[in-house]
Amino acid sequence: MHIAKLTRRLIWLALALTATGCNTIGVKPWQREILARPAMALNAYPVDAAIDDHIYFSKEGASGGRSFGGGGCGCN
Amino acid sequence: MQLKPANPQLRRGLMAASCALLGGTAAQAQTAAGEDQSWQVDAGLLYYKENAGRLRTIEPVVSLKKDFGDQRVLDGTFVLDTLSGATPNGAIPSRKPQTFASPSSTSLTPRAGAKTTLYTIAPGNLPQDPHFHEQRAAGDLDWSQPIGIDNTLSFGGHLSTEHDFNSAAVNAAVSHDLNAKNTTLSAGFNEEYDQIHARGGDPIPATDYTLLERERAQTKNVAGALLGVTQVMSRNWIAQLNYAYDRSQGYLTDPYRILSVVDGSGSVTGYRYESRPDTRVRQSLYWDNKVALGPTVLDVSYRRGKDDWSVTSDTVDVHLRIDVGRDMYLEPHVRWYRQSAADFYHLYAIQEVPLPTYMSADPRLAAFTATTIGFKFGVKLAHTGELSLRLEEYQQKPADRSSPLSQLQGLDLNPGVKAAIVQIAWRQDF
Amino acid sequence: MQRATAAPGDAQSYPATDVRIEQRDGGIVAACFFAMASPCELLVETPDVEKARALGRIVESEARRIEAKFSRYRGDSVVSAINRGAGTVIQVDAETAALIDYAAHCHELSDGLFDVTSGVLRRAWKFDGSDRVPAQSEIDALLALVGFNRIEWRTPHITLKPGMEIDFGGIGKEYAVDRALALVEAESDCALLVNFGGDLRANRPPVAGPWRVAIERPDTNREARMLLEVTQGGLATSGDTHRYLVRDGVRYGHILDPRSGWPVRDAPRSVTVAAGSCTEAGMFCTFAMLNGADAEKLLERAGVPFWCLR
Repeated sequence: MHIAKLTRRLIWLALALTATGCNTIGVKPWQREILARPAMALNAYPVDAAIDDHIYFSKEGASGGRSFGGGGCGCN
Repeated sequence: MQLKPANPQLRRGLMAASCALLGGTAAQAQTAAGEDQSWQVDAGLLYYKENAGRLRTIEPVVSLKKDFGDQRVLDGTFVLDTLSGATPNGAIPSRKPQTFASPSSTSLTPRAGAKTTLYTIAPGNLPQDPHFHEQRAAGDLDWSQPIGIDNTLSFGGHLSTEHDFNSAAVNAAVSHDLNAKNTTLSAGFNEEYDQIHARGGDPIPATDYTLLERERAQTKNVAGALLGVTQVMSRNWIAQLNYAYDRSQGYLTDPYRILSVVDGSGSVTGYRYESRPDTRVRQSLYWDNKVALGPTVLDVSYRRGKDDWSVTSDTVDVHLRIDVGRDMYLEPHVRWYRQSAADFYHLYAIQEVPLPTYMSADPRLAAFTATTIGFKFGVKLAHTGELSLRLEEYQQKPADRSSPLSQLQGLDLNPGVKAAIVQIAWRQDF
Repeated sequence: MQRATAAPGDAQSYPATDVRIEQRDGGIVAACFFAMASPCELLVETPDVEKARALGRIVESEARRIEAKFSRYRGDSVVSAINRGAGTVIQVDAETAALIDYAAHCHELSDGLFDVTSGVLRRAWKFDGSDRVPAQSEIDALLALVGFNRIEWRTPHITLKPGMEIDFGGIGKEYAVDRALALVEAESDCALLVNFGGDLRANRPPVAGPWRVAIERPDTNREARMLLEVTQGGLATSGDTHRYLVRDGVRYGHILDPRSGWPVRDAPRSVTVAAGSCTEAGMFCTFAMLNGADAEKLLERAGVPFWCLR
């Protein structure tokens, strides 16, 4: 399961970085004005995302990954 | 302070700091003037239409969010889905006309006391059931609140119902902020329980189609976990990495799909209901980046998926949001998707060969590439509202569309699908 | 956890006490009032006196709102609530959070010289023109309560150690000027200038020519005024005139160095800076004063227009 190994390594890396208090990546609290813009939110348009997730869930073999499926439908 | 040789940095730094202070508080002070903007409504209407008389969907969505202060938020979503149009039943085209019974039929031949809705497919056409009509209602409710200073807890539930399928799910997640909120770790779980009661009953997988052997309602359940890291990479770049795992168990077969059984020359000799394993384990890795380039925002994401049905997939999704003037934006969008076929996917079954335990001709389990291309146009309305229009075209191109068998020469056994996606959406804060 | 809220109500709840209207030369109407311990005015280029009055009321409301919310002299202000925290976690609103972020940013830009927690040092220093200088032990005791790095600030939660205080004295008035101008700019197309006791900002010059502003300049012999022509942007002045000590021939201005606890030596008597916004100009003034003898050098190297008086 190649992907499982790869993802496990990535997760360990992410955890290790954060556990060592790696604060060289990131910004000071007063430097967040760009990130605070609504268009920069990671899930800026949940309705669009939900509609897309539903379309691709019913037409394709893979699904989700961004957040929880939140329940199924009979379309797959 | 140190007197650096030249100090334009001080000027730049102070200018940036002042702009951040004044730019940010401008919006807040508008609301400080007495409005309690704790509600947000997001309403959308999707119109989805496939080519060749196939699926048509109209789907209104309404989402309501209430902020109770202290970062406690209640989020409810309601969806109504109306589907109609023809849907492929899994059989392949043939040189002779083919007759099928709609799923609600109890007999393939007219006889007293039986329900028979038949449809005939002309030679060379892809078999599609034209009587498909479905309505679905679904609701979600989610609650999130902080725990202590750096943690958030959220949980929610989902219910959906349609004529032949009911679903109930619950989910819960926690997240933890580190490094002055530059890093957020999250973990979540969800559990879903579904009931499948197809029109006419759930077929016994892999049995002869003409015998219409049905079972009483079947169930399946899905248990999933999600681990995620969100990281602020720089002042204008934020990234997210999610690992998702889920395991489905139960009746995973599509109750309406069949496979054509053909002889050595490709002539159809019969049909079988499809049959899928009763477990499926899926994993995916999803990586998203949002980068602000001046006022423009670029969103690039990549998802790699893999499951134990041998379906592997790659998805690349790119959005570029471009501000037009002060009140409008244009957002072109491109999505590339590629998947490999499930290991039990076959265009058809061959009679002489012993039938495999698991087999499906569902195009959604075939190998194909798909592209979505389109754009979204948005306009700001008075008082933090927004109206938008999204126009996209989705196209699926299967890899495997023909057969070497003599009777099937020149026939397109899996033509793929093209669909138009039109969405109007409205957002407003109250 | 407590919530620090502004004084009950918001901008509307302050009675719109009338502003005093004055007609100035060149078709300018001035709407005047007194707030933040200063004479304040909004200058509008318009023939419509009632419009100027209405805009003046907006400026006055905003000045009072900010004063009520951030003044450390008012018991019901957000700042007072934070300072009473004594080690508990206080949650602040978005505007207060933005100001604290700004204070943090300036603290870093100035290598620690600008510090909104340094106000407690005034308990030791009384700038009454006498020669009474506090004992070093008194200063050291207070220095233990000074230091922006000592507070815990993770938006929107702030925790001060018992005895520590923050105050937005170096930021509040200039921020109010910028906010007030933004509010009236949204309501009118006229040329506007907001002036709170010498800290001012204009959106553009009147048709007849630049705004003419008189800056009070301290002078040992007489009160001289410097006349400046302002087209657009912010202007702020910091002065040292009336609060000082003299001991052994050395003049100690009232600007204290938060690292030593002593007043900054050889600070200019007055410095005026022009910048894009009043907030930015005011912070340059503060940085300059904190740099004492090197005030002019700092401002020259930063490349901002300035006037220094020693």
